[in-house]
Amino acid sequence: MELRYYIVRRLLVLIPTILGLTLLIFILMRSLPTTYLIAPYTAGAKTTAAKALDTATAIKLLGLNYPVPVQYLDYLNNLLHGNWGYMAAGGGYTGSVLTLIGLYLPNTAQLAIGATVLSIIVAIPLGTYIGARPNSVADQSGRIFSLFGYAMPAFWLALLLQIIFGAKSVGGAPWQIFPITGVYPESVLIHTPAWMANGTSYPTHIFILDALLNGDPSAAWGGFMHIVLPVLALTYGILAGILRFIRAGMVDAANQEYVKTARAKGVNEKLVIKRHVRRNALIPTITVMGLLFAGLLGGVVLIEKVFAYPGIGLLTVNSALPTLQIYGIAGTTLIFGLLLVSANLVVDIVYAFVDPRIRY
Amino acid sequence: MDANVFAAKGGEKKRNPGLDNFITTMKLFVKTRIAFVGMIITLIYFLIALLDAVYPQYLGVTNLSSMLAFLHGQSVSASAQPIAPTTVGGWYYWLGTTEYNIPIFPSILASLKYDLGSSLLIVALGAATGVIIGTIAGYFGGLLDEIVMRITDIFFSIPFLVFAIAMAVILSRVLPSGSSIDVIIALTIIWWPIYARLSRGNALTIKSLKFVEAATASGSSRMRNVFVHVMPNVLSAVFVQFSLDLGSIVQIFAGLDFIGFHIGGVFFPELGNLLNIGQPYLAQPYLNLTTGQVLSSTIWWPIVIPGIFLLIFTVAINLMGDGLRDVLDPKLRR
Repeated sequence: MELRYYIVRRLLVLIPTILGLTLLIFILMRSLPTTYLIAPYTAGAKTTAAKALDTATAIKLLGLNYPVPVQYLDYLNNLLHGNWGYMAAGGGYTGSVLTLIGLYLPNTAQLAIGATVLSIIVAIPLGTYIGARPNSVADQSGRIFSLFGYAMPAFWLALLLQIIFGAKSVGGAPWQIFPITGVYPESVLIHTPAWMANGTSYPTHIFILDALLNGDPSAAWGGFMHIVLPVLALTYGILAGILRFIRAGMVDAANQEYVKTARAKGVNEKLVIKRHVRRNALIPTITVMGLLFAGLLGGVVLIEKVFAYPGIGLLTVNSALPTLQIYGIAGTTLIFGLLLVSANLVVDIVYAFVDPRIRY
Repeated sequence: MDANVFAAKGGEKKRNPGLDNFITTMKLFVKTRIAFVGMIITLIYFLIALLDAVYPQYLGVTNLSSMLAFLHGQSVSASAQPIAPTTVGGWYYWLGTTEYNIPIFPSILASLKYDLGSSLLIVALGAATGVIIGTIAGYFGGLLDEIVMRITDIFFSIPFLVFAIAMAVILSRVLPSGSSIDVIIALTIIWWPIYARLSRGNALTIKSLKFVEAATASGSSRMRNVFVHVMPNVLSAVFVQFSLDLGSIVQIFAGLDFIGFHIGGVFFPELGNLLNIGQPYLAQPYLNLTTGQVLSSTIWWPIVIPGIFLLIFTVAINLMGDGLRDVLDPKLRR
C-alpha cells in the first residue's frame, strides 16, 4: 500500500475515535445535575452579571429541554461553531472556554515542545552509547537513571527542582536563580511591551518566540528562565522511557544477522552502530512515543499546578477546584484528547514511513 | 485405585505442577537479587500499612489534626514555622514537623494505609473488570470484540491524569459520599481498559492453542473455556502489569490529592496531601526565631521527606515488577 492510502485510512479511523471522545465527554457532562450546566449562564458569564439569565431561559438557551440524543447533536454543533461554553467567576477565570484555551494552549506548547525536543536530543546519543555497551558501568548507571525516571512522581521532582534551583527570597545559593512561578518575566509584567496586548503576546502567542521575533532578547531570556525548571521536570520521565526503549532496541538489533553480516564484511564499528543497529533500534522507540506523549500531557497538569504556570493543565485544575466549572473541564479534556489523538496519528504515520512493512 | 496410593508406595509425594512451577519461579526470583530487594521493601511498606490499619492502638490516626492529641495530648495550633528534623522529643520528631507542627514521621506512617490500600483496591478492581471483559472479548471475537476495543480506544485517547480529574470531580458531585470513594471509583473506571487490552491480546493467542481445542472437543462449554482454560493463562502477564501499575496509581492518587482534591478532607493522612500542606514552605526561609538569623533559605523537609517515602515505594515496586516480568517470561527463563 502506498503511504498516502495508509494516511487516508488512518485519518478515517480518526473520525469514530473523535466522535467517541466527544460522546464520552458529553455523557460525563450530562450525568451532572442541570444546575452545574446552567450555573455560568445564570451567573452572567456569557452576558454580564447585570444581564444574568434566569434558570428557565438558561435551560432553553442550552437546549436542555430537548431529548438527550438531540442534545448531543447540539453539543457537536456548538463545538464546531466554537461555542465551547463559559466559565463563571470563581476559579479566577471568566469568559468563553475556547478563548481561554486559545490563551493558555501556547504556554503549554512551550513546555511540551521543550520537553519533547530536550528528551529526544539527550536520549538518542545517550541511548546509542549505552546500548552499544550492554552490561557495562555506563549501562548500569543508565538503567538506574531510567528506573528513577519512571518511578519518580513528576510533581515531586518539580518541587525538588524548585527547592534546589528555584530563586529564594533570602539567602539563596548562586545557582538558585530560576523563577518558580508564572510564565512572563517581571520586567514584562511591569512595563508591558507593545507586542503584548491583553496579556497575550503576538503574533504566535508563544512568548519566547514572540519576544525573539519582536527583537526583545532580554524578555525572551526571562521567558526562557521561566520554562527551564518545568521543562526539566517534564523531561525526566519521558527521557527515561525513551532511553529504556532505545537501549532494548539496540541490544535486540545487535544480535540480528544483518549486523553480523555488516561486521563480517568489515564495516567500521562506528558505522555498524550508526547505520545498522541504531536505525533499527529507533523503530520500536517510535511506537512508544505516543504513549510517552500521553504521560507528558498528564504530567503537564501537575507541573503547571506546581509552577502556577498558566497553561491548559492549570486551567483543568482550576476548572475542577475549588468550584466545578463543567465547561472548563469538558473543554480542556477535549483539547487534551485531541492533542493525544493527533500525536498518535503523527506517530503512526512516521512509523509507517520508516517501516513500510506495517502498511500492509 | 487412586493415583496417590501409587505415589505413596513409591515413597514419592504427588507433585502439584502448579506449586512446583511457583516454587521454581520463586527460586529464580530470589536469585535476581535486586528484584528481591524490591519485593522486600514493598512488603515492608504493606506491613506498616497493615499494622496501622489493623492495630489502631499502634498509631491508627485517621486524621492529621488528631496526631498531636494522640502523641502528646496537645491540640493543633498554628505555628510560626515547622520544626526541623531533630532527635529531641522522641521518635516522631525525627523527620521534623509540617504545618501546625504536625510531626512528619508518624504522619507518613499513618498515610501508608490509605495510599497503599486505595491503590491496591483501584488496581485490583480495574484488573478484575478488565481481565473479565478483555478475555471474553478476545475469546468470542466478532462484534463484541470490536465494540470493546473501540471503547478502550476512546479511553486511551484522554491522558490518564486529565481523565482522572474530570471523572473524579464529576463523580464527587453525582455520588452522595464525598470521600475518597469517589476518587477510587473514578480511577477504577479509567484503569480497566489497560487490562482489557492486555488480556484480550493474550486471549487471542491462547484460544487457538491445542489444549483449548482439546477442551472444546471433550465437551467444555464456551463459558467454561473462557474462565477455566483461557483466563488462568492470561493472568501471568496481568500479574506483571498489576505490580507495575501499583506504582503508577500511587503516584496518580497522591497527585490528585496534591493538586487540592483533599480526598478525605484537609487533614487526610495521605502522602500527596502532606506534600500539598508542605508546598508553601518551599519559598519560606528557615529562621532562628529568637535571633532572626537565617538558618536555611528554604524549609525543605515537609516536601522532600514525604516524597522520598513515595519514591522508595515506586522504585521498589518497579524493581519487583521488572523482576517478575523477567521470571514469568518463559523465553527469558532458560
